[in-house]
Amino acid sequence: MDRNFFRYIWRYSRAQQLIILAITLVSFPILYVTLELPKMIVNQAIGGKDFPKQYLGFEFDQIQFLLLLSFTFLFFVGLNGVVKYVMNVYKGLAGERTLRRLRYQLFERVLRFRLPYFSRTSSGEIIAMIASEVQPLGGFIADAIAVPVFQGGTLLVYLFFIFMQDPLLGGAAVALYPVQGWLIPRMQKRVNQLARERVRNLRELSEDVGAAIGGVRDIHANNTVAYHLAEFTNRLQRNFDIRYEIFKRKFMIKFINNFMNQITPFFFYSIGGYLVINGDISFGALVAVLAAYKDLASPWKELLDYYQSLADTQVKYVSVVEQFDPPDLYPVERLHAEPEFDLDSCSRLVLNHVTYAGEGAGQEVNDISAEISLGERVAIVGAESSGRTQLLQMLAGLLSPVSGRIELDGQSLDALPQSVLGRRIGYASGHPYILNDTIRFNLVYGLLHRPIAPTDVLSEEARRRRLAEAMRTDNAPYEYQSAWEDLSEAGVASVRELDMRLIEKIKAFGMSDEVYRMGLQARLPDAIGEEAREMILSARAMISEKVGAGGGKSDFVEFWKADAFNRSATLAENIVFGVPRDPAMTPRQLAEMPAFETAVAKAGLEDLLLAAGHSLAETMVELFSSVSEGSDALATYSFIPMEELPEVTALLRRAKDGPEKLKRKDRNLLIGLALQLIPNKHRLGIVTPEIEEKSVKARPQVWETLTASVPDAFDFFSREAYSEALSIEENLLFGRLRADRPKSRERAETAIADCVEEFGLTPLILRAGLDFRVGINGSRLSSGQRVKIGLLRVLIRRPTVLILDDLFKGAGDPGERQQLERLQEMVEGRTLIIGMSGKELADRFDHVIEMRGGEIISEERPQAGPTDPQAGEAGAGEDVAAE
Amino acid sequence: MSMEEEVRALSAVPILANVDVSKLKLLAFISERVVFHPGESLCRQGDEGDTAFIILKGACEVLVDSGGGQKKVAGLTRNDIVGEIAVLFEVPRTATVVATAETEALTLSRDQLFTLMREFPEMSFDIMRVLARRLERTTQDLAQLRSQLAQDAA
Repeated sequence: MDRNFFRYIWRYSRAQQLIILAITLVSFPILYVTLELPKMIVNQAIGGKDFPKQYLGFEFDQIQFLLLLSFTFLFFVGLNGVVKYVMNVYKGLAGERTLRRLRYQLFERVLRFRLPYFSRTSSGEIIAMIASEVQPLGGFIADAIAVPVFQGGTLLVYLFFIFMQDPLLGGAAVALYPVQGWLIPRMQKRVNQLARERVRNLRELSEDVGAAIGGVRDIHANNTVAYHLAEFTNRLQRNFDIRYEIFKRKFMIKFINNFMNQITPFFFYSIGGYLVINGDISFGALVAVLAAYKDLASPWKELLDYYQSLADTQVKYVSVVEQFDPPDLYPVERLHAEPEFDLDSCSRLVLNHVTYAGEGAGQEVNDISAEISLGERVAIVGAESSGRTQLLQMLAGLLSPVSGRIELDGQSLDALPQSVLGRRIGYASGHPYILNDTIRFNLVYGLLHRPIAPTDVLSEEARRRRLAEAMRTDNAPYEYQSAWEDLSEAGVASVRELDMRLIEKIKAFGMSDEVYRMGLQARLPDAIGEEAREMILSARAMISEKVGAGGGKSDFVEFWKADAFNRSATLAENIVFGVPRDPAMTPRQLAEMPAFETAVAKAGLEDLLLAAGHSLAETMVELFSSVSEGSDALATYSFIPMEELPEVTALLRRAKDGPEKLKRKDRNLLIGLALQLIPNKHRLGIVTPEIEEKSVKARPQVWETLTASVPDAFDFFSREAYSEALSIEENLLFGRLRADRPKSRERAETAIADCVEEFGLTPLILRAGLDFRVGINGSRLSSGQRVKIGLLRVLIRRPTVLILDDLFKGAGDPGERQQLERLQEMVEGRTLIIGMSGKELADRFDHVIEMRGGEIISEERPQAGPTDPQAGEAGAGEDVAAE
Repeated sequence: MSMEEEVRALSAVPILANVDVSKLKLLAFISERVVFHPGESLCRQGDEGDTAFIILKGACEVLVDSGGGQKKVAGLTRNDIVGEIAVLFEVPRTATVVATAETEALTLSRDQLFTLMREFPEMSFDIMRVLARRLERTTQDLAQLRSQLAQDAA
């Protein structure tokens, strides 16, 4: 990339820069007119004589002439504003486009780094560079050409004028320019150095923050908080020192500039005055020169400012760009090219004197030669520091050999683009990257190579516009809002079939119990059709029938009934007889909803709820005021968050004259509290029969008011309708578990499991479970689940060559043998290369390569029988045979 | 108010006898009140238990499996407590308790009690004092029995 920011700007925004310049030049005469007209108005129209006047062939009296000039003035003022507006918008546009291009180039380069580069660069630094460090460059881009041309031009015009008046005075005017031109860059240089240091320091600071977040558990576990705080303080101190130094120098430059600009008039007064007294120049000329010099100061100052910000942005630009210029970037084609290359028809993977030197000890591979027949099951056995992992990653095209070649039927692996390596070859290790999305997304992630088909998220026109803009700045030509799942690669015909395949694999890998449980607690995905909802409704009917038939013993669930109060549900749910669609809506927010307020008031519940909330608040304050704020275990039982207790205590003091007298906000807080009460669970005797009765009676009224004012905010319960706002389990049960019955959860789970079985709902629930969000780095999954997902992700896309590392130990665990057998069955007929540390499973492979210290120490073909070990090594190279 | 009724029941639990009423209120609030229909069991002999039941209403019978079938050894009514020791440490249930009438019981689980004890350490001392007194009484009884035995033998 260009190391000179100015050249970079010129290269990519030349046309835009010229347009900005043209607009600038156009604006100039307009500006001139707006300055000139007021003079005319004052001198000729208001103070003028000899009316009527002839003007442009028309005759005007004084008033008419005044109005003509005034309106002309108004017109030019407007025009000036419009031109300025157009110019500013266009400047912003030009800056933003260039910035967009720069950011894209930087990120694309990140994806072109070779893997070892990442062990030297921290993600925190890269993020800071792409996201924030380049931002200030945008403001400069638009001014890059226009400002120096315009201000420089202005300066020259004034200088010319001064020289025309008197060469000596002209000389005096520019006398100090060389001094400034020599001194300022020298001073600026040190500022630039400091700026560079500041950037570096800030980068390290963001890396520290990143490291602290990543290692927060160890920070607390080892009590190193003080150390990290001190480290951060140290960085801030450094930053402070640098900034302070920069300020001092920057303002010193300003001071010197100002001073020098003030010195020049000194010459004018002394030398010019001397010349006037001696009669060498006229008094008028001196006044004119002085006036011109006053105007000279402004463009000169602008130019110096420009110079300073150019230097500043150049520093920022270079300190970013140089980080993105490692010598061995992958070529761009590797990312985008899609050549016809049929890996399935290849037969041999040959390692030819392959050497690799990693970053640390035990990561090297020394001059290995071997041959792998495609279609075979190959084990690469070696301890962690045997070079095994490096060899496997080279075979997957993730690392490049330092010397030697890996060839697929004569074609160098290193020259193949990712469209071959990342599709036909699959690589999975014990540490997969789990994206912060759903399980499903993590599974199909391996299919997202190119956009497959447009979706209806964007209109055709919007899509075209986005693409055109992307092309203008050489961004990615792929539309993000597309269907990306490559169904053919997974070997399925539809998304539905793909989902079935995912569920199949989930089951085969023993994850279905977990996913089932996640599914029950999840809402049904929109993608699942209407008939699924119908089925759940039938199951609901059956569950209620079965539970009902069980008599007294089965009353572990309290069903929703439109005409009965549900003592196992909150007051809010009982009054609304439904739930908010937005799961984040709190009871207090509900209480504050005007529609809800009205409905509650109409039902005559307002005072009752207020009284209930008041007595609940009193109880909570009484119970929890002696509990310390740090007691999380107890705090979960309180209706009022511990930190709000003082506030509520104060509220209760205000409510001495009865809660009705409170302000609306306080009343809503109390009602919000009362709405959370579950009579069966909380048994505080606050929910009186009167409240119960009135809540039930209020339902139709509440329904009417809420549907009228906030039509889509709530999902109302109905035995005949599926409720999208409820989880699948709640939909099946259509009621609440009774807190006051023993083992209600277990019993409900059994009842649900029976019906799910009978209606064949399991796949559906598993599908819903696939939408479980896994958290950052998959933190909501166990590490075993993460590894399985990483492996499944690769299996789903059915690569011709499957390379696995760190997934099998080969230490003789019987369960592992079973897993391997199942896996081998799944990928039957395809090439399977597995790296492991032990040799126990060797008999399950056609070809076993053993490594130690970066070298192959033996090769075996267990299937061929031990009688002829040489047969397996045919073509493996003399080096190995010589061992 | 039902809460007062529960607090009264809790104060009747021997190990909680010395605990302050405000703590008992909190304990009542965080514990659960469960309904058992006739024939349903509160706990089963041999099961690992971590809950004590304080009968608030109704009646239960205590059954012990002595090899040859279950035998009723006692009946429980209002304010009786079962499984008190299970709250303090892991111990298998020594009997089965079955409701003979519609029964309401306050359940006191180890987790809940310990949460409270962690927050209010003085509560632990109150409980410890009760246990110590019991131990002391048992030791006395034992000594008495021993001396009696010695006398008998002599």
